Amino acid sequence: MLIFVVLCPVLFIVQMSLRTGLDAFQMPPTFPFSVTLQNYVDLIEGKFVRSLVNSTVTSTSTTGLALLLGVPAAYAFSRARIRATGLVSLWTLATRMAPPIAFGIPFFLLYKDLGLIDTRLGLIVIYLTFNLSLVIWMMRAFFDGLPRSLEEAAYIDGAGVVRAFLRITLPLSAPGLATTAIFTFLLSWNDFFYSLILTRSAAVTAPVAIVNFMNYESWEWGKVAAAATVIMLPVVALSIVVRKYLVRGLTAGAVKG
Amino acid sequence: MRPISRRQFLRSTLVTTGLTAAGLHASLAHAQAGKPYAGARIKMSQVTHAYGDGLVARLPEFEQQTGIKVEIDQMSFPVLNQREDLELAGSSGAYDVMQMIFIRSGRWIGAGWAEPLNPFIDNPQLTDKAALDVADFVPGAMAPFKRGETIYALPWLADSTVVGYRTDIFEKAGYAKFPETFEALEEAAKKIHTRQTAAFVTQDNLHWIFPNWLLSYGGSFFANPPGDLTPTFDTPEALKAAEMFTTMLAKYSPPGGLKLDTSMSQAIMQQGKAACYLDGMGNTQHIIDTKKTTLADRMAFTHTPRGPKGHFPQLAVHGYFINKASKNKNAAWEFIKWAVGKDTMLWSALNKGHLACTRASVLGNAEVRQKFTWRGSDLASLHLAVMKRAGEGYMAYRTVPQFPPVGDRVIIAMTAIASGQTSTGAGMKALQKDAEAILEKAGVKINRRG
Repeated sequence: MLIFVVLCPVLFIVQMSLRTGLDAFQMPPTFPFSVTLQNYVDLIEGKFVRSLVNSTVTSTSTTGLALLLGVPAAYAFSRARIRATGLVSLWTLATRMAPPIAFGIPFFLLYKDLGLIDTRLGLIVIYLTFNLSLVIWMMRAFFDGLPRSLEEAAYIDGAGVVRAFLRITLPLSAPGLATTAIFTFLLSWNDFFYSLILTRSAAVTAPVAIVNFMNYESWEWGKVAAAATVIMLPVVALSIVVRKYLVRGLTAGAVKG
Repeated sequence: MRPISRRQFLRSTLVTTGLTAAGLHASLAHAQAGKPYAGARIKMSQVTHAYGDGLVARLPEFEQQTGIKVEIDQMSFPVLNQREDLELAGSSGAYDVMQMIFIRSGRWIGAGWAEPLNPFIDNPQLTDKAALDVADFVPGAMAPFKRGETIYALPWLADSTVVGYRTDIFEKAGYAKFPETFEALEEAAKKIHTRQTAAFVTQDNLHWIFPNWLLSYGGSFFANPPGDLTPTFDTPEALKAAEMFTTMLAKYSPPGGLKLDTSMSQAIMQQGKAACYLDGMGNTQHIIDTKKTTLADRMAFTHTPRGPKGHFPQLAVHGYFINKASKNKNAAWEFIKWAVGKDTMLWSALNKGHLACTRASVLGNAEVRQKFTWRGSDLASLHLAVMKRAGEGYMAYRTVPQFPPVGDRVIIAMTAIASGQTSTGAGMKALQKDAEAILEKAGVKINRRG
């Protein structure tokens, strides 16, 4: 029952996407109803697919790059015995210390001069800027939870720092990596603000494309619902695939004193 | 570095000269063929709208005529508001032609972000004035984009508030025609309203709907715009208008009637769950879409009711202007001339259902009049009458630069009053106070009222 209540908005959107325009506004909704896939056909025939590709490319690239750069950084912060570690890691959070709107205008002006407006590269760079701190802080907590003795054992067996990290630490951090990757992906995938101000038509992402179904004269609710359903699908699929790791990742350290 | 030989120098000089001559010849050929801007690429921003769809459909024709490549970027209204504001403030020049949103026109024109169009209109090499026929645009639609004699945009959309209503329901309640005053409408609503069929429905952009009541009861947003912008929401006239308006929302609207977007409002009418719908013509006309309703043969249209001080239907106008930061201004002008030309607008009215157009010649066209006459309601005449009435000047409050934030505050106040969160008196007093603060923060000198 609780699951049904929680999923109610999602189910409402999905059933709405399968109705005709007029039927979508029947209140209360009528069941059974004649199912139509016209809203999805309209999405495919329109420009939405391009925005979905943009979302996929920018979110996947951001996630990959953020992990590539952030995970070694997090490992360094976790293991290095340097006095400034705390201060430096705190500064990595600087990009998250103010609401996105505070950075919006400066980034717009900078991007305008650099010719990065309406480019996927521009979006990837900005998502990376904001997600890197998340990756570093999340992964650092996971690395802190792993005993150093495992790596020390590897050193005794002749492994170097890189080898110990790649062969011992990283596989043990798989749940953390999965959790971090999902969060990074979600933050990029669902971003509306930066896509709104930094893209126009070529690099526009799906969350902004959805809003464009709100015409001046009337809103195309059927397409909005269909697009929302399509946007949800990859995230749901990804979550199911890595569910095991996700749960372990989220509960790691939860029972430690 | 290897020295260049005499032969190489001569060869490269010949090649360069040849290429330049060929290029010049091509340009001259284009110019002679009436294509002086051939090869130019321009970009345009506008709201997602049937008119924009029409432009996209006919674009190949324009591109073939002029050799100008055009990219039309259509987006939702909230996105358009944000993007255009940012583009103009950042002087990016990313868009050459942009939609002039009339409630932002005061700020954009005031900031010098819109290129004055008179030098283009008055230049015979750039414009055939007889073909453009600026006088054909109805004055009410032109007014928001003129400062003195200077024109900053040409209008393509004018949304006039009208009423779409169910003749059968009103007739059953004893009304042979739609009530002519807001008080009579409330009286009728008392008789008509049931749980199944609400007497009244409108959309949630309440700063667009409320002024129909406010001005008709003698109230106003500002004391005397644009000269005196002292807010006037706490006057007895404004209080009376707010009380009347919020009563319609609270007592005679469908459930959730305060937060209905245009689609929902239209759907409620189409499903027979409301007896009348007050909104802009562009929205209201859809209630007789026979693909969405079986009740079209019971609907008709009329002007909005009047109040004790007269009849003040509202008019929202949108135009096209040249971005000051554009690097292709002549090509942009070429496009605007075509986009708001008589042919384009007439084609759009006949083929895209664009009734909310701005040219008198289109609205007077016999074919258009016939197409938009429904059960005795001549929608084109109705629309034209509102545009002419609005041209008398009472819409000036909407183009002052500070209108958008004050308008947003009006929505909050109306919602709070209609939902019973506050009384009419307290709600309007709070609105007055907030509006004063907004204007003073913007550096506007006002005469505080208490």
